[in-house]
Amino acid sequence: MKLLATLLRRLRDGVIVLWAAASLTFLGVQYSGGDTALAILGGPDAMPTPEMLAQVRAEYGLDQPLWVQYGHYLARLANADLGESYRLRIPVGQAIAEQLGATLALASSAAVLAVLIALASALLTANRGRRLRALVSGIELVLSSAPNFVIGTLLLLAFAFHFHLLPPSGSRGWRSLVLPSLALALPIAAVLAQVLRQSLEQVLEQPFITQARARGMSDTAVRLRHALRHALVPLVTLAGFVFASLLGGAVVLELLFGRQGIGRLMLDATANKDVPLVLGVTLLAAALYVLVNLLVDLATQAIDPRTTRP
Amino acid sequence: MNHFIQPWLLGSALFIAACSPATPPQTPGTLKGESVTEVSGVMRYPASDFVEQRLGERGGTLRVSASSDAGSFDIHAQSNGNMQWLGRILFDCLVYQAEDGTLTPWLAKSWDISPDGLTYTFHLRDDVTFSDGERFDAEAVRVNLEHMRDPKTKSPLAAAYIAPYLQGRVVDDFTFEATLRTPYAPFLDVLSQAWLGMISPRQILDAPKSIASQPIGTGPFVLTGWVRDQGASFARRSGYHWAPPAIGHPGEAYLDGIELSYVPEAMIRYTSLEAADSDMALDAPAQNAAAIRANPALTLRNRIRKGNPARSITFNVERAPFDDVQVRQAVAKAIDREGLAWISGFGEYLAKGDFLAVNTPGYDPVARDALAFDPTAAGRLLDAAGWTGRDSQGFRTRDGQRLGATLLTYDNPAFPANVSVAAQADLRKVGFDLQIELLPITRVMALRYAGDFDAIGGGYWHTNTADGLYILYHSQSIPSARMIGQNVGHFRDASLDQLLGDARRSTDPAQRRALYRQAQQRLAETVPAVPSVESQMLLAYRNAVGGVLFDGSHNVPLFTSVWLAKEQP
Repeated sequence: MKLLATLLRRLRDGVIVLWAAASLTFLGVQYSGGDTALAILGGPDAMPTPEMLAQVRAEYGLDQPLWVQYGHYLARLANADLGESYRLRIPVGQAIAEQLGATLALASSAAVLAVLIALASALLTANRGRRLRALVSGIELVLSSAPNFVIGTLLLLAFAFHFHLLPPSGSRGWRSLVLPSLALALPIAAVLAQVLRQSLEQVLEQPFITQARARGMSDTAVRLRHALRHALVPLVTLAGFVFASLLGGAVVLELLFGRQGIGRLMLDATANKDVPLVLGVTLLAAALYVLVNLLVDLATQAIDPRTTRP
Repeated sequence: MNHFIQPWLLGSALFIAACSPATPPQTPGTLKGESVTEVSGVMRYPASDFVEQRLGERGGTLRVSASSDAGSFDIHAQSNGNMQWLGRILFDCLVYQAEDGTLTPWLAKSWDISPDGLTYTFHLRDDVTFSDGERFDAEAVRVNLEHMRDPKTKSPLAAAYIAPYLQGRVVDDFTFEATLRTPYAPFLDVLSQAWLGMISPRQILDAPKSIASQPIGTGPFVLTGWVRDQGASFARRSGYHWAPPAIGHPGEAYLDGIELSYVPEAMIRYTSLEAADSDMALDAPAQNAAAIRANPALTLRNRIRKGNPARSITFNVERAPFDDVQVRQAVAKAIDREGLAWISGFGEYLAKGDFLAVNTPGYDPVARDALAFDPTAAGRLLDAAGWTGRDSQGFRTRDGQRLGATLLTYDNPAFPANVSVAAQADLRKVGFDLQIELLPITRVMALRYAGDFDAIGGGYWHTNTADGLYILYHSQSIPSARMIGQNVGHFRDASLDQLLGDARRSTDPAQRRALYRQAQQRLAETVPAVPSVESQMLLAYRNAVGGVLFDGSHNVPLFTSVWLAKEQP
């Protein structure tokens, strides 16, 4: 019963977040300057006739007051109709669906990589040797502050251009996924590892760990079975950060590595003032964010029952 | 600043740093990588670039990389420059413009033009089919012209190119008669451009939305797959035997297929070519030109686009200080375009001082040096315009007012930021204060068409006729609330209008040449913009690629005659 109430409350909050995201983006795009009809028809290499211009203004309702356009937009949204992309001239849902798979592949492989790297780094170095810890921590600091595209470029230079081990671009096959996933994962892994190490080290000081050790448990078993579970709690709350980093980083890396995906779609849409598409992608991002936060709460409760709401 | 930082800039910067100038800038009449000759002062590519020289080997799939996806294959609803070569893969046109500007048969075997220049009668081939089995005939031509100008097509280019088209009449199955409102001499020229190719009439009538992703044409290849922003694949159209006679290629394409990948980063296009992961790279990076030439497995070609060359600055002639022709002349003479050519082209681009690409039909070298780099003359012009004072920073003044203007630009690979900075430095030397304002493209486009700027950076217009001058500088092309014109500087000159209008209406080729010659002279005197370099495309391919011909209209590769030899490992 309690869970259902929580879910309902979360659903309501989610709808409000989505509405706010849709409205803010709508206004933002409108006031970013530039005539939408020009953006659709009037690039530097275009010369549309008056008839074409009139058609575009009428067909997309651009000749109506802003609040009417906003109303129409919300009404269509309520019917789950995201409209048609101005530039691609296909339904927004279809445009997103075409690109979603590639981005999900990149983001999920990067997320898995980031978690694995962070776990390995933290478990192996927590409370072990001052120098090793300082070295690894230093590398993490550099990685977490370096922008994705710098890491990506360096990876490209080394593995694609110099050693020719992996393809420099494309979205075909797992080999083309390795370098961008790594570039996306490394800064995230670095942050996660730092947090995890700190929290592991705190946990390892706890009396119950000493107790476990006193029972004759090996160090590895202590770390994996007891310490890790406790140390994971602060990590799970970072899921929002991870998600935002994945999304933001994907935009940059999809361009650098010539991959298809939502990031590239969004960049093109923004650059071309493709309002329906920008709104569609924003809503998708907002919906995923709501979902991730919900999952984080559930996961936190599962890991640490003390956090259950009264 | 609310525009995106482009990540590839950094990548490029890393590699640029490793390059250094190796050879001096080029002079007109020479072009690296091409065996060009000079004919009466005009640079010409050899005829062998445009006509098949020997039979190729059949088979193989050509792997091509290009910078970006056009987003749709509906040529009539597109103005994207990629359509120049992409369109030729899938579609054919009524007529074919040979490199020298001659109009030659393609899907139309021949045509008659009425003496008043208003009626064009096309005699069509009777053996052509679309890849959906539809017959190509007079009705197909009529449906296509209607589709181009149908507002629902939302055509940004094709509709304007055929704007004088009034109506079409199907005389018989294979005779089509087009009537124009006013005489329009460039009609056949524009009909030969890739954006005005022929699409299956059944598709236009039954499923026009499907043209964007499943285009059906009569071309030498058919589309077999497309992943947006990733790539496209094409297979040879069997039974194709209607390539333009002018290219000397009989029968089907040699290649089994083409595998096209979209790779935004030029450096990666080059690297995958070098590693033999691809066979051909369109828009090869100029900064790697020397490395490509030094590689014995690779060939680099340097192709000038017909039409109007790249401009560094277009003036808003309705605003001070550019309402004064002397200031415009001075600015044009004060910018070292050899320097700009070097900065943007690493020695590959040709500096350009006049208003038509050298290979455009109607180009005349009469005004080639009129705006030559001459800072002293620029200073004299500014003195004559009354800008004789100097302020504490060394800029010229008149009545206490500093001589200066703001250059509006956006992040644009064709007009990189370092080019505007170089122009700024050149102008400072003659006492002109050029400020640079870098804004997002949508903002720039809005200000551009509203005429709300002093000067605007970059720009070119690719077309295969000197009528491109009408599009850029005729007063009819000034943008307004109901029309997006390309004369964005609001340039208005009665005698230029007269010359360009007469040339449009004239049916006499000799007279048109004379009119365009005068128009080019007039432009050099009135200076609506500052030309900087020829608009060029670098094409790199592996030596196993044979039969690379170039399209007569656009000077981009034509894949009909391309073939692949077995490469030695």
